[in-house]
Amino acid sequence: MTLVEFFRAAPVAPDILAPSLWLIIALPLLGAFICGVFGKMLGRANVQLIACATVAGAFVLSVLAFWATSSYNPETGRLAAVYPNPFGLERDFVRYALAYDYGTWFSVGDFRVNFGLMVDHLSGILLLIITGVGFLIHLYSTSYMEHDAAYWRFFAYLNLFVAAMLTLVLADNLVLLFVGWEGVGMASYLLIGFWYDDPAKAWAGRKAFVTNRIGDFAFLIATFLLVLLVSAFTQQSNAADFNNAGTTSQHYKAALAQKGPVTFKGLEKMAEGLLDTAADQVDLSTPIQAGPLAGYTFGGVMTAAMLLFLLGAAGKSAQLPLYVWLPDAMAGPTPVSALIHAATMVTAGVYLFSRMSALLVLSPTAMATIAIIGALTSLLAALIAFAQDDIKKVLAYSTVSQLGIMFMGVGMGIFWAAVFHLMTHAFFKACLFLGAGSVMHGNGDETDIKKLGGLRKEMPWTWATFLIATLAITGIVPLSGFFSKDAILHAAHLNKLAGLEWVGGVVYYLGLLIAASTAFYMTRAYLLTFEGPRSKEAKVAHAHESAWQMTLPLVVLAVLSVVAARYAFGINFFDMSAQPVLDNFLSPVFSATKRITEGSSLVVLDTSRPQVFPDYLKAWAVAMAGGGLAFYMYRVFFPARVGQPVPAYARAVRRAAQNKFYVDELYELILIRPVKFMSFLLFRVVDALVIDTVAVRGTAWVTARVGSALRYVQSGDAQAYAAVMAIALLGGVVYALIQVMQ
Amino acid sequence: MVPITYYLLLAAALFCMGMFGVLVRRNALVIFMCVELMLNAANLTFVAFARMRGDDLGHVSAFFVIAVAAAEAAIGLAIVIAVFRSRGSVLVEDIRTMKH
Repeated sequence: MTLVEFFRAAPVAPDILAPSLWLIIALPLLGAFICGVFGKMLGRANVQLIACATVAGAFVLSVLAFWATSSYNPETGRLAAVYPNPFGLERDFVRYALAYDYGTWFSVGDFRVNFGLMVDHLSGILLLIITGVGFLIHLYSTSYMEHDAAYWRFFAYLNLFVAAMLTLVLADNLVLLFVGWEGVGMASYLLIGFWYDDPAKAWAGRKAFVTNRIGDFAFLIATFLLVLLVSAFTQQSNAADFNNAGTTSQHYKAALAQKGPVTFKGLEKMAEGLLDTAADQVDLSTPIQAGPLAGYTFGGVMTAAMLLFLLGAAGKSAQLPLYVWLPDAMAGPTPVSALIHAATMVTAGVYLFSRMSALLVLSPTAMATIAIIGALTSLLAALIAFAQDDIKKVLAYSTVSQLGIMFMGVGMGIFWAAVFHLMTHAFFKACLFLGAGSVMHGNGDETDIKKLGGLRKEMPWTWATFLIATLAITGIVPLSGFFSKDAILHAAHLNKLAGLEWVGGVVYYLGLLIAASTAFYMTRAYLLTFEGPRSKEAKVAHAHESAWQMTLPLVVLAVLSVVAARYAFGINFFDMSAQPVLDNFLSPVFSATKRITEGSSLVVLDTSRPQVFPDYLKAWAVAMAGGGLAFYMYRVFFPARVGQPVPAYARAVRRAAQNKFYVDELYELILIRPVKFMSFLLFRVVDALVIDTVAVRGTAWVTARVGSALRYVQSGDAQAYAAVMAIALLGGVVYALIQVMQ
Repeated sequence: MVPITYYLLLAAALFCMGMFGVLVRRNALVIFMCVELMLNAANLTFVAFARMRGDDLGHVSAFFVIAVAAAEAAIGLAIVIAVFRSRGSVLVEDIRTMKH
């Protein structure tokens, strides 16, 4: 058996593995249960063992599942893991995918949601990142949370988070994805507010939760819109539409009855069906005839749904206008920042749009909005990061900024590069966060980079890995961050959105500016922390290197953030014009998207490769310029001017940046105050007056009054009762007499 | 032949006297007697109508009412005696224990 054959035949055959996919979610969930319920009795070492082992087990299963997606059957020489697309015809197989449907989860009328799990190359990559990086962070936490009394609670939450995130990526329909989406939100709330006896930290958790809720609401509305859209499509479509989508109407409707309207595969088929290729067909400009959406066009509803999904994704992925929670979320323990706010949860929005890429490319308006929102978020966050002194805040704003870049990629239709940047970012940002945690650990929890410095010799492992990760995020040539960022910028420059051709150019130049800013603030953070003399304000005289449980993950992540660059090149490393490995790798996932972009002229995707000259050189020069400027400012310019007064305009600029351009204050003024005022009014008028006083106490008062009045009637005097009867009788007689008289 | 109106007016007068007695008298025995008066007023109407119609149904009803009234009087008197033994009074305002 050659090496190629070995890697092609998965150790567990796909048809055996598929029914066990639920184990990937169940393992960490079981870990969370054991740690959460029995943690106190088990003791520190056992809790750590269980927490790490369950995630490691999920990692092994993920590797097997991922392996099985590309499994060849050596005897037949064919792919073993293809499964028929339930919405397509016999010939329409979903390649490189492992799926299992555990049956109906719930159904209401003809709306049905199945508990179906699916691993394809996209969710496979996410699986490996979540469980792999997740495991490293668990390992790191065993040392980082060594002295915390509530260690068992912490590990239970971490496991819960991993389980929820795995549900999110394994789901084959929107509703199940939403379960994971909410699950990570809840676990994130628990983890950010982990130290709940500190009000500031509890507040940060609450802020994250509330901000996310706004996005989740938009997500739900978007889902409902899609459900309505599917039913409108099935009512109005004709056979020609289904030809377009590679299915027949009976087949599509049968699959719909069996799988429900919100499965991603079904939505993809609908997107293909909406393509405009012939007359008298349903396409994007067709008005919907019946139902709640009657009168709107398919394209219009699709744009609305995508924009609502953007708001949902903005909540989770910290984009404008909902990014404000992420920097505050740094109040949680550092491994949490690394796990949630760098590697997994915040990338859920990017994952969602990649998953729904077939629908997204039907709406250039939504794509342009996503790209511009991403670019603006990224730029704003980068500018704020300039002046932050808290090392974790710098990294937090850097995460917001990098997510913005990923959104730029998604918005400009370069999905594989967005996923690539997601992947490399998971590696180097987790490395940076864990490095920052290691720095804090060795320096008495000091987070102010002005009070650090000179750690290079004292913490060699942390220094080396932090430097590599900094170079990676900055975009220095042989490291992965350069290639993933450049792939996005390059394609953003060349892709065309119908009617919105200017967006690509704007996004590209903003992207260059962002790249330079990233290089500047990351170099600044690195220089102030590790280079130069040790600050006089340092808490401890000599920092100490962390334990192996903390340095090992750093090293692994640093190595990964270098070698991940391989995926930006072709199979043949030296062929610059070849399709990148990752692009090729993900192409089955985005095949429907590709058919749609080729079939319509809404979005023109460009598949050209960046050239060394001028593309790579330009990007590299930009990054070097930013980094060089930071180096000059913080190693030469500022040290030479110590003691001299700072000009007033510089102070003002710095203060504005340091205060995050007063965005939080702006929110306070235009949103929170009015909402609070409204709430106060509602509380006083509706709650206290109408409900409490009138409705609740009022009914009690009336009942009591009526009761005390009627009390006199019930005297127990039989003669009085008889008198009442007699009077009634008299009344009856009088009435009868009147009737008779008339 | 006396017209039926006279019988009915006499019955109504008897009934009203009986009812008046039930409502205003305090002595349980007198109340009983007033009830008897009301029943007999009803009997008088029965018999008068029976006579007018020329059938026996009214007579049967009157007999039935008399039988029930006799039974009721027996039980009522027994109750009144029992109440008198325990309370030493047959005035209805003294035995308003249903209230509590």
